[in-house]
Amino acid sequence: MAKSLPLEGIRVVNFGWVWAGPVVGQTLAFLGAEVFKVESRARIDMTRNLPPFAEGEPGPDRSLSNHACWAGNGSVSLNLKKPEARDIALKLIANSDVVVENFGPGVMEKMGLGYDVLKEARKDIVMFSMPATGLTGPLKGVRTYGLSLTSTTGLDSLVGYKGGGPIPVENAFSDPFVGIFGAFAVLAALRHRDSSGEGQHVDFSQQEAIMQMVGPAYMDYTLNGRVGGPKSNEHPLAAAAPHGVFPCAGDDRWISIVVADEDEWQSMLVAMDSPDWACAGEFSSLPKRLANIDDLHTRTAEWTSTFDDRELADRLQEYGVAAAPVLNVADLLNDPHYKFRNTFIEVTHPLGFSETIYGAYVKTSRSEVDVKPGPFIGQHNEKVLKEILGMSEERYQQLVSDEIVY
Amino acid sequence: MSSGALAGIKVIEFGQLVSAPFCAKLFSDFGADVIKVELPAGDAARQTGPFPHDEPNPEKSGLFFINNTNKRGITCDVETEAGRALFLRLLEWADVLIENNLPRQMREWRLDYEQIAGVNTDLVVISITPFGQTGPYSGWNAYDLNAYHLSGASSRYCGRPGEMPLEHGTFSADYFGAITASTWGMAAVYGRDVVGGGQQVDVSCAEAIAAAFVGGQNIGGYAQEGVFDKRTGVGMPQGAPATILPCKDGHVWMLALEPGQWNGLREVMGNPEWADLDLFQDMFMRAQNADVIYPFIEEWTMQHSKMEIMDKCQAAGCPITAVFTIAEAAEHPHLAARDYFVDIDHPELGQVRNLGAPFKLPACPGGPHTPAPLLGQHNSEVYGEILGLGEHEISTLNADGIL
Repeated sequence: MAKSLPLEGIRVVNFGWVWAGPVVGQTLAFLGAEVFKVESRARIDMTRNLPPFAEGEPGPDRSLSNHACWAGNGSVSLNLKKPEARDIALKLIANSDVVVENFGPGVMEKMGLGYDVLKEARKDIVMFSMPATGLTGPLKGVRTYGLSLTSTTGLDSLVGYKGGGPIPVENAFSDPFVGIFGAFAVLAALRHRDSSGEGQHVDFSQQEAIMQMVGPAYMDYTLNGRVGGPKSNEHPLAAAAPHGVFPCAGDDRWISIVVADEDEWQSMLVAMDSPDWACAGEFSSLPKRLANIDDLHTRTAEWTSTFDDRELADRLQEYGVAAAPVLNVADLLNDPHYKFRNTFIEVTHPLGFSETIYGAYVKTSRSEVDVKPGPFIGQHNEKVLKEILGMSEERYQQLVSDEIVY
Repeated sequence: MSSGALAGIKVIEFGQLVSAPFCAKLFSDFGADVIKVELPAGDAARQTGPFPHDEPNPEKSGLFFINNTNKRGITCDVETEAGRALFLRLLEWADVLIENNLPRQMREWRLDYEQIAGVNTDLVVISITPFGQTGPYSGWNAYDLNAYHLSGASSRYCGRPGEMPLEHGTFSADYFGAITASTWGMAAVYGRDVVGGGQQVDVSCAEAIAAAFVGGQNIGGYAQEGVFDKRTGVGMPQGAPATILPCKDGHVWMLALEPGQWNGLREVMGNPEWADLDLFQDMFMRAQNADVIYPFIEEWTMQHSKMEIMDKCQAAGCPITAVFTIAEAAEHPHLAARDYFVDIDHPELGQVRNLGAPFKLPACPGGPHTPAPLLGQHNSEVYGEILGLGEHEISTLNADGIL
């Protein structure tokens, strides 16, 4: 049983699709809000068809990654190409606090669900829009995918091996980032509503939210005119050395090590049994270690390469040095730390199969998050149409057979 | 300080470097009253830079400047009994504490949640650390880099096979942890009456990324099938073109997957003969022939500039973007037209341009307007107004090295 959650009583209608929008809904749902994703079999979200599928059986209600990324959202299936479906959506909105969407600018208007219309349905509605580059401006409506959107923030220009060109991040780090961040914007708007009675249309530009991450490099540009580039895993502001990822024994095993000050360097020397190279003058202070960082990192890599990554991390930590194994996907599921924190959980989907998704990745001492698996299409149709909107069984069945609820 | 969506929320920030300061900045930039408490030596960001002309100066750190706007700043040596007592009185006043010290450090100061929860039962304590407050690694020393590489993100998604996995070149784990903490923490504040009081919000930067980024896409498949993927060095190995390619003056994110996008790209490239091959009409087939197709496309991109490629391809319906350098992002007319940048007058740095609000709330705009505080700048104001200390008491505390 869940202990009480802070957003109980908040209802959200989520038109979000793919990844970022659904994560906004998920975040609010983990925290207690009642969230209904509006979707339809008339245009099935592409992420519902991403393999692998539960028990290896393909189908839009069986995608394992979709279920993890959408968990917490409910689903009401409305075929918005039909005017009656739009009317039902508006009725639901009239009974809700928040509307979330991550289409391009103008798409909600075209569907007859722009902010002006929503406001008619419910005066103090909080409408949350998160287009790639915002609702206004010359680049408005730029076409990007989540994994390439970061290229317009400067972030991608910083990723790569030292001295080389940018290396692509092979998935959209920005999607869950803006999804979770977006929920903060929703909460801020809700708080304003509570104190003023006023709703609003939040303009959340993913570009602008993500660009906050390049703040440190931006400041180096602003203050010094310097334009940063890839530098492997070195400290973003050259303030620690060693600061890197080093090879360990075995196939693709690595360890991350950070030495931020002289005390930590002295500890590292002891942990390494004070080899001659490390005690040499060229590494005797942070400025010197930074000046000779390539050599320092090469030497460190030679030293780490014969050790088991976990044993070495334990050994360095015993001396107070910041070191940790570099985990792969398999390690995540088996790692004692994530097991202890219940980061990943096995759940039973309402369609009967079991699947592993992520649970509450933040621990709250007074609230216990009750993570529900990603919904099947239309899982909450009856709840929404009959319980919330008070429709009769007869009318409901009519809507189903007319493929308005579809 | 009294307008904005979060006006009226009282926050004590006791953090350093990136995660807690940026989390608290999201509160202060949207109107909360945030008091940043620094040890007498100051937030380590003050020693980190970037500094103008690379000349270290604790009042001129760019990192400190950008993550501490709209806050008042005070000093307090919590290692002393008197300092700790002052800190606890501030927690009585506050709604929220945001901190990112290692758990063992907070225990050493007797400021861990067990110790402070009794002082103010309504207090929401947001703790942001690389690995969290519990679990086998909670006692470890760690920084942003260690957290990021424990999340699976680098092994899975960034770097060439066989070569070292990479982080983003910025404090990705700290930023991800910070926004996670701001959302979950703000919810705890928003629903404090609903749940019956304050609580601890325990954020592990590594765990947030391991779950919401890497886990969401990979963990179900691995748990069921026992197989998993690793980084390839290519943007999207299943479809093509989908990767970063060099061009005449930098790089572009080359993406043309759906038939309309591919045909748009062909047209922009001048319908080269090689692209007519039946073999290349499908994104999966193109990916299987990546070693053939990428050199062809690159031959074309090398003759054109990134902005030209972006403009023409966008017009042709392809989601291709230039890889903006920091300078290009900082000077982009789109961001300028949206008033993303804000000039701030700082007493030591002068007028400095800053990134503005991360999102726009038209009814109650947020964003930075007041510069990051100098070390101890608001000692008299805060200790006087909030704790009711007289000038004499404050100067005694100063003389005793408490502040």
